[in-house]
Amino acid sequence: MSLAVPAALLALWELCSRLAIISPRYFPAPTTVGWVLADRFIAGDLGAQSLITLTRLAFAFALAAVPGVLLGLLMGIARPVRDAVEPYIAFIFPVPKIALLPFLLIILGVGEPAFVLTGATSAFFQIVISTLGGVQTMDPRLLEVGRNYGAHGPRLFWKVILPAALPAIFTGLRLGLGLALVTLVAVEFIAAKSGLGHLVYRHWQMLSTPEMYAPHVFQGTSTDVTVPESSTARESTSGASPRCSNSWRNMRAGKTSATY
Amino acid sequence: MPTRAPKVLVSEVSVTFESHGRSVLALDRISLQANAGEFLCIVGPSGSGKSTLLRVLAGLLRQSAGDVRIEADRPGTPLTAMVFQEHALLPWRTVRDNVTFGLENRGVPRAERDARAREMLAMVGLTRFARHYPHQLSGGMKQRVGIARALANDPEVLLMDEPLAALDAQTRTIMQEELLRIWATLGQTVVYVTHSLEEALLLGDRVVLLTARPGRVSQVYPVDLGRPRGLEVRGSPAYGALLEKIWSQLRDEVLRAMAEDRGA
Amino acid sequence: MRALGRWLAEHWIAVGSPIVLLVVWERASATGLLREAFFPRPSTIVAHLRQLAADGTLWGHAAATLARIGWAFALAAVLGVGIGLAMGLWRRLREGLDPVFAVIYPIPSVLFLPLVSFLVPPGEIALVVTTAVTSFFLIAFTTTHGVRQIDRLVVEAAVHYGARGWRLFATVLLPGALPFIFTGLRLGLGFALIVVVAVEIVSASRGLGALLWLSWQILKVEDMYATFFVIALLGAALSYGLAALRARLLPWVQDVAERR
Repeated sequence: MSLAVPAALLALWELCSRLAIISPRYFPAPTTVGWVLADRFIAGDLGAQSLITLTRLAFAFALAAVPGVLLGLLMGIARPVRDAVEPYIAFIFPVPKIALLPFLLIILGVGEPAFVLTGATSAFFQIVISTLGGVQTMDPRLLEVGRNYGAHGPRLFWKVILPAALPAIFTGLRLGLGLALVTLVAVEFIAAKSGLGHLVYRHWQMLSTPEMYAPHVFQGTSTDVTVPESSTARESTSGASPRCSNSWRNMRAGKTSATY
Repeated sequence: MPTRAPKVLVSEVSVTFESHGRSVLALDRISLQANAGEFLCIVGPSGSGKSTLLRVLAGLLRQSAGDVRIEADRPGTPLTAMVFQEHALLPWRTVRDNVTFGLENRGVPRAERDARAREMLAMVGLTRFARHYPHQLSGGMKQRVGIARALANDPEVLLMDEPLAALDAQTRTIMQEELLRIWATLGQTVVYVTHSLEEALLLGDRVVLLTARPGRVSQVYPVDLGRPRGLEVRGSPAYGALLEKIWSQLRDEVLRAMAEDRGA
Repeated sequence: MRALGRWLAEHWIAVGSPIVLLVVWERASATGLLREAFFPRPSTIVAHLRQLAADGTLWGHAAATLARIGWAFALAAVLGVGIGLAMGLWRRLREGLDPVFAVIYPIPSVLFLPLVSFLVPPGEIALVVTTAVTSFFLIAFTTTHGVRQIDRLVVEAAVHYGARGWRLFATVLLPGALPFIFTGLRLGLGFALIVVVAVEIVSASRGLGALLWLSWQILKVEDMYATFFVIALLGAALSYGLAALRARLLPWVQDVAERR
């Protein structure tokens, strides 16, 4: 049942394209795109570019995750740290991270470091906020119980605070990953000479449309495969300012809390 | 006792649920009746279908077999109004607007709605909270709003589904007193479902005992403890005797229900 | 006055540290500790900001960006809420559309620009539509979820008390979904800002994103910082402004309390 509608749409598109009801130049038939997708994949072109994007993503994520979680935890347990850092986070969070790209291009030159770092900032802020939220919204009774049973200081942290915040941390990491990907692809589209984003851009400029659509298909379906989810699992909890609970959707959403 | 048609007549009602491909018989040929102005309590172990029966009476659930008849003496007023166990108030409406919800849906003009709301809120003692939202109230207060909402609709029959079950013991006792007082004033026909035998004897004119699943009518006990009634009746020997008598029956049913849970 | 004093005493770190930072930056830049080409003095940045504002460039670009956001958001909101509600109410529709949305949604917004430019006349309309795409999905998803999470018991009680058809929708389903709809709108608005900046960088000659990129290309670093600051202000205004509105519009919703 759930495949019926997409299948019908694709069939319609196929028909219209072949019959030139819609311009086959701009809207190549799905089968054509499919062939190209397969062809390019086998030729290694699409695969190579995807790998480049994924590599950037891996670096960006690694750069963001560790400092992000650490900072979030620190802000959660030490009030002075939170007070000091929060204004900056609150200021930068709503800004589109792509706007940081030109600055990084100047400081680091046009190249991988600038691209990766831009992607990393997207993830970083999300991770910090989610982690902080995890610490802040944990059940205070857990702390009481912990102290009561003799856990103080570092012990309290490792045995009580960290585990309690873990779900929120993981959610933040997932979201951060998604956000980093979105930003990276945008960066590639704008400024890079390689990667999926750039691929789309290049083919757009050359109007080689089947090749242009291929990454779209790849992007749209690969997240489907790597991140299994049921349609009814699309949940969102109430969004709020960086202080309170986060807005998070399911896996593939990476995008949501972007500005909050 | 005047011989008139009973206000509520339930004849051989059965309810079967489909669950995971299996059929579950929740109620088995229930027959009972409530007379006009009577306070009828229904007691039984968990799973005996008490709430199901009430839902059938409310028209929220359709019975699989049998007949339900409610005498409509006053055309224009709804047949039933239910007080839910989990209050089920609309969180985005103020207390007052929750109370007038049913009236709004029936197209009652604003002036009359507001007057009724004032009256009902006064009766349940929540006049000061008319403009509050449900989330600002305690459990007991929310339940009172639920009662006010039901009463505001002036139904032929008032249905109450364990309305005090979610309250702490102290609030519950206070609310029982309130209910007695309110009912003494308004005198509606009430069908009241509860787990608590003590509560049923305190409030009711008759107690219907249901068996463990599938629910059947085990027995119907008249409660001759006089009216008007107050909390002090709980100390009377007649109350104690009745409690003991019915409890021995109920106890068997409860144990049977627990055994089934364990076995099944 | 006393209240202000108290507030300052409590938040002195939060207020003080940016000030200290700016002062340090100013000195470091002036003395060459920080490369002025990369990190111009805050005072120079402010001067350039003033200039941009004075000669009207700033307002022109800001207005262009705001207009695009406005249109895109309106488009995304109307369609998103409408379709979201429909999907929430009719299971068939939801099951039919879900798989389609699920594939399209993860595609980073910028990649839609080429696609959209084929469908609609290139120029403003293409930019607006691209900006609206991801916001649309966000709003639709949260709206659908908003409808579906309404407590069944509350709906049952409402039906019992005589609410049917249109009345049920207007007095129960819509208000019940409203908190989530609102969250979706906030997210959608934030996202619109992100996408609009990105597409402006790619293919616009007016707009804050375009200004940022242009300044980069001609290496007017001070203008870059100034533009960034304005974008940040805009982001903050949109995100925190709408958050403030929430308290007014949704008086019955309790916020997650801050524990620490």
